[in-house]
Amino acid sequence: MGITSEQIRRVTAELYDRSLRKIPDETRQALERAAETETNPIAKGTLAVMLRSAAEAEKFSHFVCSDSGIPVYFVKIGTRVQFDGPVKQAIVDGFADLVGTINPPMLPHVTNPLTLERGHAGKDMPITTFDLIDDADYIEIICSPKALGSGRWAALEIFTFPTLETIEAYILDVVMRAGPQHCPPVVIGVGIGGTFDYAAKLAKQAMLRPVGETSPEPILAAMEQRLLTKVNSLGFGPMGTGGDTTSMGVHIEYASGHGFTPVAVCFNCWINRRRSARIYNDGRVEYFE
Amino acid sequence: MPPVKHLRVPAGKEDVEALRPGDFIVLDGELVITAGIPTYARLAQCLKDGTPPPIDMNGAALLHFGGMSEIDGDKFSLRYINPTTSTRFNGVMPELIRGFGLRIVGGKGGLDANCVAAMRDSGCVYLSFIGGGCTLFSESIREVIDIGWKDMIPHYRLLKLRVEGLGPAVVGIDAHGNSLYADSERAAQINLKTALADNA
Repeated sequence: MGITSEQIRRVTAELYDRSLRKIPDETRQALERAAETETNPIAKGTLAVMLRSAAEAEKFSHFVCSDSGIPVYFVKIGTRVQFDGPVKQAIVDGFADLVGTINPPMLPHVTNPLTLERGHAGKDMPITTFDLIDDADYIEIICSPKALGSGRWAALEIFTFPTLETIEAYILDVVMRAGPQHCPPVVIGVGIGGTFDYAAKLAKQAMLRPVGETSPEPILAAMEQRLLTKVNSLGFGPMGTGGDTTSMGVHIEYASGHGFTPVAVCFNCWINRRRSARIYNDGRVEYFE
Repeated sequence: MPPVKHLRVPAGKEDVEALRPGDFIVLDGELVITAGIPTYARLAQCLKDGTPPPIDMNGAALLHFGGMSEIDGDKFSLRYINPTTSTRFNGVMPELIRGFGLRIVGGKGGLDANCVAAMRDSGCVYLSFIGGGCTLFSESIREVIDIGWKDMIPHYRLLKLRVEGLGPAVVGIDAHGNSLYADSERAAQINLKTALADNA
């Protein structure tokens, strides 16, 4: 018994496919709440168009956004799991299967940064990071396809012994630079501390949390609430044409580090594209939104 | 859904001058789409060289939309369309707006002050479509009238379409120099000062 390459291949392709056709329920509910409370009539109308667009995609099992992005997977491996076959190659093969069979077809967004040539495959694709879960008898796979619209605006800066005020001012600065460009209302993921690479990973993890789920750390929970209020006070609004709803949620994770403190900020656009699944050692597969 | 006005495209100068920021619009008629930076560069080159592009652009509605098109011999199909980030074309849009007398441009995220000035001079509006409107907007496609520059990858080709009810879109920039993007940017700069003052 064990987790086969074939299962990983099938599940990674399926997660991507599902993520393109339906926005997560909790994201739809956040948009519905925003549409209720918006005081700007243009923003209210735009949120209604977004909800209608998501409903149409779901109804026809078509894409919510034509920019199907590049494949990004986060894989967490339970230490009680056994693999029956290669894992990395299975993820590569899963994406190739998807490209070959998906209906409608995906546009070629995988770009060689040196030549700007575009296709459906490329070096280090899919972008995959691996982690461990002690004692678990399953692997968890999160698929978060990333496209230019919101991927473009992520940023990181390293501070020395920053105050919380300095950190918050930087996050607002990144939000200002993104302005109306990242298809707001967005989910904002923030990683504080650790190292250069680890802070970015924390920001991504934070972004992938269910919308509005607060940090268990009281200092961060308060910061998340403060920043959400401040970001929405800026007034960019849905698609940047003004309004109260620029962000659906600010999610922050932290790690200890040295006195140099990286702060990473990333965004997921209003469709908040992501899906996850668990594959158990006994062959069961569970899908989550 | 918000109440919408139908606008026939290509539109006349008076039609677009009557539009105001924040109006919700759906388009009926013929328009041109492409999402390729190289395509916009080729259009600009046509103006410089005085050579006509493969699709007549004079007075056209030109949208920053990508399309998934498939060519199989003589057969051509368009599977879906969706807006792309307009600011990527900021540099080239003023000369295209002035050179072709474009009446309608659109996409997502708005255009900069130079484009707003060109739109005011020529009589042109910018329509804000939602990102993530692939299914909704693709439902309006009635016919692919023409395809230009088939040598390019699908979403870079120049496509002339007939649509019915493309939208709703918001008038983000009108033909009189008013831009909702410039307004919200200005407001955000002021609101940021308040937010940072609360921080201290």
